[in-house]
Amino acid sequence: MHRHHAAAAHTPMHPHTHPHTHPHAFARHHGRRSAAGGLLARLSDRFLLLPLGAAIALVWANTAAESYFRFAQPLAFPVNEIGMALFFGLITQEIVEAVMPGGALHSWRRWGLALVGAAGGLAGAAAIFLAFVGYSYETVLMPGWPIACVIDIAAAYYALKTVLPRSGALPFALLLGISTNVVMIVIVAPRFPVLAVHAGGAALILVALGLAGLMRTLRVRVFWPYLLICGTVSWLAFYREGLHPAFALVPIVPFLRHEPRRLDLFADPPDDDATHHFEHEWNTLVQVILFFFGLVNAGVMLSGYDTGTWAVMLAALVGRPLGILTAVGAAVVLGLHLPKRIGWRELVVISLASSTGFAFGLFVATGILSIGPARAQLTIGVLATAVGWLLALGAARALRVGRFAR
Amino acid sequence: MLRRLATLLLGLLIVGAAAPAQRLAALPARAESVKFAVIGDTGTGDRSQYEVGQQMAAVRGRFPFDTVIMLGDNMYGRQQPQDFVDKFERPYAALLKAGVTFYASLGNHDNQSNRFYKGFNMGGERYFTFAKQNVRFFVLDSNQMDPRQRAWLEQALNQSQDDWKVCYFHHPLYSNGGRHGSDVALRVLLEPLFTKYGVNVVFAGHDHTYERFAPQKGITYFVEGSSGELRRGDVRPSGATAAYFDQDQAFMLVEVSGDEFAFEAVARTGAVVDSGVIRRNPKT
Repeated sequence: MHRHHAAAAHTPMHPHTHPHTHPHAFARHHGRRSAAGGLLARLSDRFLLLPLGAAIALVWANTAAESYFRFAQPLAFPVNEIGMALFFGLITQEIVEAVMPGGALHSWRRWGLALVGAAGGLAGAAAIFLAFVGYSYETVLMPGWPIACVIDIAAAYYALKTVLPRSGALPFALLLGISTNVVMIVIVAPRFPVLAVHAGGAALILVALGLAGLMRTLRVRVFWPYLLICGTVSWLAFYREGLHPAFALVPIVPFLRHEPRRLDLFADPPDDDATHHFEHEWNTLVQVILFFFGLVNAGVMLSGYDTGTWAVMLAALVGRPLGILTAVGAAVVLGLHLPKRIGWRELVVISLASSTGFAFGLFVATGILSIGPARAQLTIGVLATAVGWLLALGAARALRVGRFAR
Repeated sequence: MLRRLATLLLGLLIVGAAAPAQRLAALPARAESVKFAVIGDTGTGDRSQYEVGQQMAAVRGRFPFDTVIMLGDNMYGRQQPQDFVDKFERPYAALLKAGVTFYASLGNHDNQSNRFYKGFNMGGERYFTFAKQNVRFFVLDSNQMDPRQRAWLEQALNQSQDDWKVCYFHHPLYSNGGRHGSDVALRVLLEPLFTKYGVNVVFAGHDHTYERFAPQKGITYFVEGSSGELRRGDVRPSGATAAYFDQDQAFMLVEVSGDEFAFEAVARTGAVVDSGVIRRNPKT
């Protein structure tokens, strides 16, 4: 994989471009061929490949539905359960580095209020979803409540980067998003709709962890053995045990050698060790996987909107912000402090920026519900929560915070 | 405007063309045939549901069916014990008293625990199969087509040696209902099984209308979601529409005898709004 090309792509956790691989620089150095590369870099740099895939899927599903579903359904398993394992591996990698000693998020003082906000947001979203579905007497939708609870970290990041740059809003929102999604992953992981659970899964997980521990002891710094040996064993173990195999790399990644992210959680780390080299190598692949993830999963026929659609939208766009504000308010009353340069108006903007569920919502929808109208209507709701980004911008403008302050 | 007028005209032509055939091809009501009724989207507890129930009881005088299949949304709104009385036991009291057996499938408005309600004869299962003479019914939960259900369906279809294979569930694979329409994702998942294992007829509800499709890949699809609810004027007929009725509540009567599957769609008023005979290739 071309080094510059690879480094120009980013996961949602660190969308800044490395100085050496800025898309414009890439274009200058590579002439005509670089146009496509530059476009890819721009799209991946802004985490737009997934929305692009989703947009194509939506148009396709609503204009040539049968051909879309014939294309998408056979790809669902390899994309969602094999490809996305790499995505969750990278996410785990970044979280581990951010919270380890010396990492940007290591201080537990920073986590306190964000955890409270996450708990409030989860409770608010879940309560509104379940109340709405219960009021509508469509209990068949109730298992879908986690879909309404997850946060698209990238969407929150870009919304806040736009309106509240250079404030404590970004780390606060990211901690809030990370802790919310980690809780939801724990809830969702065992709900893999499998045909059958096979014996031996637990033993295989132990084997995978043992091998990873052994490699660490032997100071193996290259990522490949971890991925190919431990990752494969772990994937099989998860699959056999009826857990989501997409999370198979999550227990393996902490065994890798890590380097704390000291300066900026989102800065692309230097490509100077095996672990970070892996990260660069796989970023582009993960971005392509995310494109296919959107393409395969976001195609829903819009005529399928129903109660679940409104339930997800209300829960994410109203329930979660209200839950976050209420919980943080209570915590402040009890003595916790808001982050520096964050007041209540900024908190309103942060809570709205956290209302989009897009990528994680799509994953959870496909992860806990099988093909059918229930999943379709909830998926439409997930896609519609993209308006949370606009709500955050609108609120910032109305409340005159951040870049809209006078 | 022109499109709507053309649609209306086409609808009138279809129903008009079908109506004389009903009177000529009334169900033969043979003594040894399999006779059943089809209702969908019933559980409103409204007057119209009761009137459909009364009409079904009246029709049973000339066509003594002993089975009713329910296409889901058997209960709307609250689903407490009294609701099972108001929305099921009382509207169909005459039929239940006569020993007619109901077999329900689950719709999006049905509480999943309703599968344990004895009157629905689901045996506590979301999906199940039962047979009447040479007809085997495959009852699915279309809210979610999980891998286990699909694997079960494939195995059940594969094992069936019955002459007629009839599937029914709530969400239609083919529908021209303006509110919902076809569930194409489900169609892509299920239709290959239906064609592979020789399913003859598929019933669904969800759209609150009646619609019959010209055979699709050899399978005749019906939408009957207007036995309680009704969405008047909702059908936007397509070239695949063989007949439709969206002006009143309706239910269906079916008689299977040998290689013939005769059906009628009957409005709440008792008028026959569609009928026909589906023939299968005799076994060699």
